Amino acid sequence: MLGLTDPGVIAAYLLSIGSALLCVVYGLINWNNE
Amino acid sequence: MGVFVVILGIYLLVTAFLGYLGYKHTKSSKDYMVAGGNIHPYVMGMAYGATFISTSAIIGFGGVAGFYGMSMLWLTFANIFVGIFIAFVFFGKKTRELGQKYGAFTFPHLLGAHYQSSFIRSWSAALMSIVLPLYAAAVMIGGARFLEQSLKMNYSTALWVLSLIVLAYVFFGGLRGVVYTDAFQGTLMFVMMLIIIIFTYAKLGGITVAHAKLAAMNNLVPAAFLKQGMTGFASMPVFLSQNWYLVISTLVLGVGIGVLAQPQLIVRYLTVKSGKELNRALIFGGVFILFMTGVAFTVGALSNVFFYETSKKIALTASIVGSAGPNTDLVIPMFLTQALPSWLYYFLLLGLLAAAMSTMSGQFHFISTSLSYDLLGKTSKDDSTKTLWLARLGLLVGFAATVLVAYRLPGNIIALATSIFFGLCAASFLPMYAGALWWPRSSKVAAILSMLVGSLLYLFMCLFVYTKDSSIFGLAKAIVGRASLAGSGSFSYMDPLLFALPTSIIVFIVVTLLSKPLNVQQKKQPLTTDI
Repeated sequence: MLGLTDPGVIAAYLLSIGSALLCVVYGLINWNNE
Repeated sequence: MGVFVVILGIYLLVTAFLGYLGYKHTKSSKDYMVAGGNIHPYVMGMAYGATFISTSAIIGFGGVAGFYGMSMLWLTFANIFVGIFIAFVFFGKKTRELGQKYGAFTFPHLLGAHYQSSFIRSWSAALMSIVLPLYAAAVMIGGARFLEQSLKMNYSTALWVLSLIVLAYVFFGGLRGVVYTDAFQGTLMFVMMLIIIIFTYAKLGGITVAHAKLAAMNNLVPAAFLKQGMTGFASMPVFLSQNWYLVISTLVLGVGIGVLAQPQLIVRYLTVKSGKELNRALIFGGVFILFMTGVAFTVGALSNVFFYETSKKIALTASIVGSAGPNTDLVIPMFLTQALPSWLYYFLLLGLLAAAMSTMSGQFHFISTSLSYDLLGKTSKDDSTKTLWLARLGLLVGFAATVLVAYRLPGNIIALATSIFFGLCAASFLPMYAGALWWPRSSKVAAILSMLVGSLLYLFMCLFVYTKDSSIFGLAKAIVGRASLAGSGSFSYMDPLLFALPTSIIVFIVVTLLSKPLNVQQKKQPLTTDI
């Protein structure tokens, strides 16, 4: 994927981007929640 | 050099102006400590991120990725998932509630008030203030290394110049409007990292091509690293090998978990009006960190491709200057000054200055409030004049200690020094901090014992067992004649956190179960109780 072949590194790459997206989605969904 | 002085002048003026705006809203010494309560989520997210990320992450840890490759991306995941998501959603909201309950403005005050122990407050304020200059020095060295490379300045001169800039910054009120200036600096940092990643991928032929080139360089991994378990620049080290322990236990876990117990970050939770603001700040915080450490570690690893294509070297051999050995702290400054166009240097310099200043102001602010509020002014009374003088004294003490430490530290130090402070905070304070937030039964005696066992065990392992740390201080060598009591056994390369944090957690749980629970009817009162 994207020139990367090592599953450990690919996992770290995807989890990093996924976590940033999680923050965005969680923030938007809970915009008005405590 | 002339351009540098002009840019520096403009930068200091803008931060001074933002500081003045913040100062206008500072009505009492409480405002000085937490900078008011009404903050826009963008400002909150960026200010937290800018305080968290510094030249230590970008230059120090980025350089480590240059040596050890993309396995460092696990730290980016930890930075975002633990350092932002878990921190804001689980720790931040509860901390804010607890802070309001006790009227606490600092992390030591929060812990001391919850456990009704002024010993906890004093020990935590003193321990963190004594060790924090090590982390602040790492940040300062990161800035100085880029000054050295970009302006062809002597390293000692660069350290002096940076020290003076820090002093000017603090003097012109960088601590006053600290939240607004940090958000401004976070924005500068974001633009800088965006430029760096675009230029890097463009230079190396695009995302997929650059990664594939790096993955094809496995045969260039130094023999010594192969022996320690490294397998390549774009692959994970052998599980439980020496290299795996360095990357995963010291760098990923140390900083990844340690972030939850950072006093200069926790104070940010006390600045928001409600949990709502923390949810909103998440939107900016997560993406910000992805562009900070995600870019720094990717670029650090990819610098190997650039150095190989231009000079048949890898990052490790490129960082050798004169008779000195390889230095992780030089990889990113060398890459940026050699791979990016020179007209960008000044903007990079501005971005890295912003990265260093926003973190150092938080660090000095903590030392300053520790001295003026937690150690010497233990009442909630607003004795502004005395507090302000003590705060200024604390600031000078913190600054002097940092400059002194920065001059004494060797090369390859930024990431290690940072991980020591983060690890020590986690081992000493995380169990009782989590207990204060979620375990009403947790007891005062358990908190005190867990803090003492965690901090003393961490310091012992750091000074006498973990070779990478103990060789910095030289105490083990001076007393027992070798760098580690464990010789070259596996304990000598396992991070102190792996021993100190579990021990501290076990002590906290066992002693809590065996002792009297905290009085749940704690009242909002000035803290006068002793051990």
